Formats: sequence, structure tokens, C-alpha cells
Amino acid sequence: MKRPSVLEDPKRELWLAWYATIVFYNIYTIVFFILTRTQPPGKPWYGPEAVVGWFDGRHDGLLIGFALIFALGGLSATSIALITYSIRRMSVSRAFAYSYLILYAVSAVPGFLFICVVMTVGAMRPDRSPATQQWLYDLGFLSFSGTMGVFLVGSLIWMLAILLDKNGVFPKWFGYLNLCNALTEVVVAPSWIFHRGAFAWNGVIAWWIDVVVFGAYTGVFIYLLRSLILREDFGTGPLPDRPPSGPARVAEVAAS
Amino acid sequence: MPTKTGLRLFVVWLILCSITLCYLLIDHVADVGGRTANTAVTMAAILVALVKVRIIMQEFMGVRSAPRVLGRITDGWVLIMAVALVGCFAVGKILA
Amino acid sequence: MTISETALPATGAGSTRRVPGQPDMWFFVLFETLLFTAYLGVYLFNRTQHPVLFLHAQAQLHLWIGAVNTIILLTSSWVIARCVEEARAGRFRSALVKAYLTAACGVAFMGFKVSEWVVEIHAGNTFTSNDFFSYYYFLTAIHFIHLLIGFVFLGVLVYQLRSPQRRSQIMVETCATYWHTLDYLWILIFALLYVVR
Repeated sequence: MKRPSVLEDPKRELWLAWYATIVFYNIYTIVFFILTRTQPPGKPWYGPEAVVGWFDGRHDGLLIGFALIFALGGLSATSIALITYSIRRMSVSRAFAYSYLILYAVSAVPGFLFICVVMTVGAMRPDRSPATQQWLYDLGFLSFSGTMGVFLVGSLIWMLAILLDKNGVFPKWFGYLNLCNALTEVVVAPSWIFHRGAFAWNGVIAWWIDVVVFGAYTGVFIYLLRSLILREDFGTGPLPDRPPSGPARVAEVAAS
Repeated sequence: MPTKTGLRLFVVWLILCSITLCYLLIDHVADVGGRTANTAVTMAAILVALVKVRIIMQEFMGVRSAPRVLGRITDGWVLIMAVALVGCFAVGKILA
Repeated sequence: MTISETALPATGAGSTRRVPGQPDMWFFVLFETLLFTAYLGVYLFNRTQHPVLFLHAQAQLHLWIGAVNTIILLTSSWVIARCVEEARAGRFRSALVKAYLTAACGVAFMGFKVSEWVVEIHAGNTFTSNDFFSYYYFLTAIHFIHLLIGFVFLGVLVYQLRSPQRRSQIMVETCATYWHTLDYLWILIFALLYVVR
């Protein structure tokens, strides 16, 4: 079977969304970890003077990096859209897909937009009082780390859809991985209480271990979404297996 | 009428409970002469716990009668846990 | 589900070896085990940095409650293992009784755990009292949440066993696999919170 050209390929929108997802997560990582250095998070025990120093040391990075996010943050919609699409492809009720879509659409605000706004405000006028800067610092980091309820419920919805699905869109172990991800959202909750230690917003348990789990989870679902697109037959029944590649594919093409 | 597997599971349960009661003994002995940090007690507690974990995996979870690759994976996991827990403790002791 | 799947012969040396329950569940429980190991590792490391504080705080715990809870979960694990055996042999009535007994053990564990928390709070040891008690409440609470999830899986197991149309040995074993994980995770927590010095 000849592979269709890009203009005729019915999956082109899906691929566009998938590549946009990759671009988004790369931009996100570069902006947060390298340009603005807001991740790993600043220390919660910083006094007002230390916070002024924190903003000072990141002034240009914050403004440039978050400007990029404000411009391109909309790309985050593609991964949400693809996941919603994947849930639509499952045998479960569409209510799952719509709930997930609504929850995660909302989640972009605490998920990354809020901290971008707050930190940009902090960087914009370095002559603000130290107490105000500390207030912005706390607001930014707590909104980022502490508002996990949306992600928790969203993960559970996706998990339930996967476990109930009879079309085999995603493997069951990924359903369970959603439960792991949901539980890490719970683990972040103590960051509202502790200013230092493993449960603070930059703590080993509340941040470092969580980021490892989240990173693995994100990498896995990006790979599985690719697998979905490759397998997609635009039907409503069980999703077929991956089409053959490599030597098997060459043989198939030769035979047709 | 208890089956052969039923009897085996009961014996495993007895062994695990006995090991648990041994902890009470370790705990009592550890506090003789005052409550102090004791590496030997810590190591013993961790290793005994891992022995129990392995027994649960093999007998209760059915790894014993599963394909051998599962047995190797779960044994590997117990090893990882041992290294991680003992390692964290050891590194901490060195840095303290 | 077909009859042949429900009344499998008891596995022994001669019969075919198969993975108990869904392999997917094994992936999940092993992943969670790694996660708990990481949390426990962080706790152990912090313990070595503040040995006196941790020792004195730990003395506030009542070992016997922890031991009782361990025995309760070990019993629940034993009972659910028997439940799986009974289901495999086609004795579903007996399997169902054992499933309910497992749930009862779970409820007993929760009762003792909550009572212990109440006792500690009344003694003035709360989540923010000191580092040791932060770890204590965190570890026991995250285990408690896993236990609540365990009840969901038990519910699925009971649902499967109750109706002849639904009895899937794979699902029964899958749910049991998760329950056993609760047991062995608690064993680790008990050893590290209550016994370690």
C-alpha cells in the first residue's frame, strides 16, 4: 500500500498536533529550566532580601522566557486535544473525553500561565518593595506546585477510560501509570505547609521525585499517542495493531 | 478440608507473623541501656523486612508458580530496595 | 467469561506457569514499590542527619499498634491468597467469603490507624511537630490512600465473583496482586518507622 502524500494523508492533522506537542514540551522545558530558571523552584525559606536577589539574577531570563510562553503557550492545547481524541476513540462514553478536555483546558492556568504572569510582574519593576517581591514569589511557586486538584481528577478520568476501554487504544499499564501520576499530585499537597525539607515546594519528595515521575509519564504518553496515530483506522471498533515497518514493510510494498 | 496449597499458605502466614513478633524482641533489646542510634538494629530491621517482602511475593502473590522471569524481576526489585535503603542510610551516616 | 477460564487447575510443578493476573498490574505495583522505596530512602537519609530528634520522636510511637496492624495486613494477604485459590478451584462461594474477610481486615487496619493518629495528635505530635512526625504522617497517610484504592480493587474482585457471567480469574488475581502490595509496603513502613534506630 503506497504511503499517501502529505496533502492526501488523512492523519496529517493528527501528526501536526503530535509534532506541536513535542515542540510545546521542548519550549516549556527550555523556558522553565534554562531561560527563566524557575525550575527547580526557588527556595521557600528565602527572606525578602534573598527574593530580591533571586529576581535580580533572573531579570532578563524571566521577561524573555515568559514572553515566549505567552506567545506560544497555546500550543499546549494540542496535547490536550490529542488525548481527548484518544479517549473519543475508546469504547467508553464521550463524557470521559469532554470532562478531560474541560479539566485540562482549565489546568493550563495554574499549570503554567499563572506562575508566568506572576513572575513577569515581579521582574518587570525591580524597584518594588522586597516584601511585595516575596509575596509575588510565594504566589508564583505555590500556585504552580499547590494546585494539583485539576491534574489529579483529570488523570483519574483518563485512567478510568483506559481501564474500561475495550478498543485497546492504550495498554492497561498506562491506565495504572495515570494512577501513579494522580498520586504524585497528592504528594505535592504538603508544600502549602512546609517552608523547608522534603515536603516544601522544592523538596526531594514534593518536587524532585514528582518531576521524575511526571517526566516519565509525559514521555510515555507522547510515545503512546504516536503509536495511536500510527494504528488509527478512523473506525469505532478495536484499534488494530501497528502497521509493519522495516523489512516486513518492504516486503509488503514489494508484494503490492 | 484444607488443601495442600491451603496448608502451605497457612504455614507461610505463621512464619510471617512470627517474624513480626521478632521485631518486638529486637525493639525491646535495642532499648536496653537507653535509646540510641544503632546501625545494627537498623540494618537488621531493613533486611528482615525485605525477607518478609520476598516471602509475600513468592508465596502469597504466586511468583513461585509464575514464569521464572517474574521471579527474577521481583528478586531484582528486592535487591534494588535493599541497595536503595541501605545506601541512603549509609550515605547519610557518612555525611552526618 | 467461559467456564474453562474460571476453573483452572491448581498450579503446581507439572502445570503451565502463567503470570498471576494482568502483567499490567505487576508493572503498576513494581513502579509504586520503587516510589515508596524512594520516599523511605529520603526518610532514612534525613534520619541520619538528625538522629537524636528522630530517636526521641520515635519513642512517642506505640510499637504494639504497628505490630498489630502488620499482623492484620498479613492476615488479609493470607485470606486473599486463599480467596484466589478458591476461585481457581471453582469454589466461588468460599472465595467470596474470603474476599469479605479481606475487606474486614482492611477496615480493622483503618480503625487502628486512625485511632493511632488520634492518640498521637492528642499527645501533641502533629504533621508539623517535627521532621520525624512529618515523615510518619506522610508515609502512613500515603499508604492509607493506597489502602482506600485497594478497597476499590476489592470491590471489583467481589463484583467479579458474585455473578457467574463475570468471573474472570485474571481480574481476581489482578486485584489480589494489588492488595498484597499494600501488605508488603506496610511491612517496610513498619520496620522503618517503628523499629529502625
